[in-house]
Amino acid sequence: MNTATRATLRRLAACLLGGFVLALMVGRQEGSLNDFGISFHQAVVGPRIFVFLLIGLVIFVMVTFWPRVVPYLTRPGVAPLGAGLLAVLAAQTVMNWYDPLVSSTGNGKFSGVRTAANASPNLSSVSVAFFGWLAWTLVIAALVACAAAIVTRVRVFGYVTAAIGIVGAVLAYVAHSAVVDLDGGIDHSLGVYADIVGFLLLACAGITAVHARAEVADTRGFLRKVMGYRPGLPIAALGVILGLLAFSTAGWFGALQINDTLAQAHSDFDGTGISSLALNYLGWLGWTLFGAAAVLSLAATYLRNRMLAWVSLILSVVGVVLTFLTLRSMTDIGAQVAPQFGGTWKNLGAGGFLACIVFSLFAAATAMVISSTSAGVRRNVRAKAPTDELPVTSMVKGFRRSSNAMPLLIIGGALALFYPPTLTLTWQNVLVGQIGVFVLLAVGLNVVVGWAGLLDLGYIAFYEIGSYTTAYLVGALPVKPPSWLQMSPLVSIPFAILACLIAGVLLGAPTLRLRGDYLAIVTLGFGEIIQILAVNNPGGFTGGPQGPTVPHPRIHLGGINITWGQDNLPYWYLLLIMLIVVIVLFYRLEGSRLGRAWAAIREDEVAAQASGVNTTRVKLLAFAIGASTSALAGSFFATQVGYFDPSLFTLQASILIVAYVVFGGMGSLQGAIAGAAVLTWLPQFLKAQVPQDDRQMWIGALVLAMMIFRPAGLLPAKRRKAELEGLDAAASSETAAVPRAGAM
Amino acid sequence: MTATSQATQDVVFDVDHVTLRFGGVVSLNDVTLQMYRGEILAVIGPNGAGKTSLFNSLTGVYTPQEGTVTVAGRAGDAPVSVIGKKTHVVNHLGVARTFQNIRLFPALTALENVKVGIETRQKSGPIAAMLGMPWQRREEKESTATALALLNDVGLPGRGNELAGALAYGEQRRLEIARALGTNPGVLLLDEPAAGTNPVEKRDLAELISRINRERGVSILLIEHDMKLVMSIAHRIIVLNFGEKIAEGTPQEIQRDPVVVAAYLGTSAEDAQQQAEQAPELTLIDTDTVQDEEQADD
Repeated sequence: MNTATRATLRRLAACLLGGFVLALMVGRQEGSLNDFGISFHQAVVGPRIFVFLLIGLVIFVMVTFWPRVVPYLTRPGVAPLGAGLLAVLAAQTVMNWYDPLVSSTGNGKFSGVRTAANASPNLSSVSVAFFGWLAWTLVIAALVACAAAIVTRVRVFGYVTAAIGIVGAVLAYVAHSAVVDLDGGIDHSLGVYADIVGFLLLACAGITAVHARAEVADTRGFLRKVMGYRPGLPIAALGVILGLLAFSTAGWFGALQINDTLAQAHSDFDGTGISSLALNYLGWLGWTLFGAAAVLSLAATYLRNRMLAWVSLILSVVGVVLTFLTLRSMTDIGAQVAPQFGGTWKNLGAGGFLACIVFSLFAAATAMVISSTSAGVRRNVRAKAPTDELPVTSMVKGFRRSSNAMPLLIIGGALALFYPPTLTLTWQNVLVGQIGVFVLLAVGLNVVVGWAGLLDLGYIAFYEIGSYTTAYLVGALPVKPPSWLQMSPLVSIPFAILACLIAGVLLGAPTLRLRGDYLAIVTLGFGEIIQILAVNNPGGFTGGPQGPTVPHPRIHLGGINITWGQDNLPYWYLLLIMLIVVIVLFYRLEGSRLGRAWAAIREDEVAAQASGVNTTRVKLLAFAIGASTSALAGSFFATQVGYFDPSLFTLQASILIVAYVVFGGMGSLQGAIAGAAVLTWLPQFLKAQVPQDDRQMWIGALVLAMMIFRPAGLLPAKRRKAELEGLDAAASSETAAVPRAGAM
Repeated sequence: MTATSQATQDVVFDVDHVTLRFGGVVSLNDVTLQMYRGEILAVIGPNGAGKTSLFNSLTGVYTPQEGTVTVAGRAGDAPVSVIGKKTHVVNHLGVARTFQNIRLFPALTALENVKVGIETRQKSGPIAAMLGMPWQRREEKESTATALALLNDVGLPGRGNELAGALAYGEQRRLEIARALGTNPGVLLLDEPAAGTNPVEKRDLAELISRINRERGVSILLIEHDMKLVMSIAHRIIVLNFGEKIAEGTPQEIQRDPVVVAAYLGTSAEDAQQQAEQAPELTLIDTDTVQDEEQADD
């Protein structure tokens, strides 16, 4: 027996043993009174053990034959195949397929629909078959056919894959609508759409595999070609598809009870005293506006015509405004004539808001045309001008200069404004209480950790100080402020910021001469001290573990009267304003001399000092600015939740915020936002998908995978990325210099 | 030499009986020297002679136990002691330096590296930057223009948008000089600027250093191992050995100084004297041949 065989056998044994261990790990682990080894007996008896041994065997085969698979992985068609499989898997395992089932049986996913379909005799046989066995069979058939197409490049296999993919997409749609038609109810699930997209991707993979001429796939180049073919056209096309959904099937009124579409809403509101504009909009104006904007923006993007683009842009803006005005009259009148469907702003469906997003997409697409063509004009002018002046396109400003910035801002703004109202109450709560607040905190900590490179493990302390300052100033703590100092929650924000600035400087001044790990330990201690102070209630100031009750904010200023209450949506818009202000200010700061000084001390403190940077002052500024952002978040949090206690401000929270920043990409503003948003959204999302006990494991797995495949973070900073990749470049240029130096 | 004669009045650095110890190790022992305005002063010596320690004592990184160091960075400044001053304060007094092992900010672009230096002289604060105040924008434009001019000046035109870490070795040396010049210094301290560069780069560097000295009127203190470079550009040379100043004079004097030759060859002064008499060609380097080689290179 030679070494190779022995190694293979050893690997086989290890894989089988791994399968066996896996079998032991599944299910309950405690013994019962009758049988102490129950978990073991359950694991080895019956057919179950063979399933796990089979898993081991499959892993063995994959490991053994992996080197032979690798060369094919760069072939054209592999990327869409992977994406399609991922989409189909996600659709058929984690996503919801039918909302009414969630409330009745608790499982609205693919498997839940299968159970329900088997139990209902009236369902069409196609639907039963699709949910029963056909869907998975189609996936496996497509996978096999596509693999054959990729390896052999025989055209038939590619066409077979395409056919299977298209059949799968059609069947998914038919089967799902059969279920909805039969059982009725209001369904907002997205599983079927993800499934359709997945099947269509598989079809694309088959075609790509046999028709692409290149030997090595260039997915990125292909996508760039598609996106660059006509700037804005894909966005406009997306707008058309979403618009058709919004104006034909989506519900505009009575979201949870009657789900009126646009046409139904028109007949329902006719004669209720709704404004004539809204009535006309519901009748014909909405459709007409959508049609005109769609045609114009498609034409403008396809022809790259600035004139058409401007007309379409104006029309889209008018569309957003008119849609919004219509929604306002609908919700007002609706709350009067049909209060059973909810009060103002709570009785609308997603359709109207989706229409707003659609018009914004058209606006973004046409803005792209305008900015891309005008950039071309400017470039021509510059080419004629003498070029001794280097344009300031420093790495940080890359985004600023790109012609995509404006459209992206329009889309982001539209989503931030119009998407939250379509969310369920739970998700609105998550959006405000988790995502929004932690995004603000991460943006603040990014200044300290990402830009200045100072590891701060006690960041939550400033959040706590901000919260308690607000609580004190509104008179919610046992110790009341003097009556002339007592104020409303929103007015207290500047004072909270001031308190945190002072706290930041007090902590920073003596400790900032420390570096790296030592600073981290001191800040960690600071965080603990502040939390314990709040719990221990010195002088009866904080109220101890009980925590204060802070009133909700109000604005009474001249004619403006705004009161925030229990509803989360208004808080979202308040938070959005704060976020936008903070992000704009920090964005400017990053490109300023202070931003560069921070980068300099992070890169090389000694060199920065020798270049005249006052490192102490610059670090203190980082600490103070980070702390004041935290204060803003704390102040908002205190007045939004109404009641809080010191147990929220733990070390774990501090570390989580650091994790958000690192996950998103240290030193990148977009990264900090994305990191915090994803990592606060994920646990809430997983709540419905995986057992409670497994949740942290899935999050941990994601973070691990992230650090392996994208070590610089989700959206890495240009500077940081350069730090990780640029060093290679430096090394190579240095080695290139060696032969010349060696010649002397 | 006109530079030396006009410089005799105006002292930039006055180092008076400085002793620097690290525990029991004496790094600088009773060093006294003057540097005059407008001159290129080279400090040479074998490895471990205390050259970099002297640099660090001049820039506030180390604090000598004995002696005084005063600096009058720019022309017309009153002499100020640097002992106990922080590095960035010394820099603000008009003293800029480069490092023996290049210390750029590798992940910043070349332009940004220079701007960091320039902007330490600016006034606008974080609030102005956040609000985009007009004076902040004006300062930003000024620093960009100055940085571009400096990059041009040191021979890196059009390289502003490249990452400092991705530049070639010799270019990084030049960028470091540009960053130091950005702080508008009266005196520039160069710590082995030619280390690791090839002969062509060395010649360009010598030309650059002379030009900075000539055109900007910046006094230059130079540590360098490359004798050819030192002899070709320095107005005056100070030799350190084991933390002590053993010789001072013009390049010609230093080349023929037996003590210096002894320090470099590791023999006693008497032996060196004898050797020098027996074999006059065995000096540190012959100026005539240097000139010849320079012409040959051209």
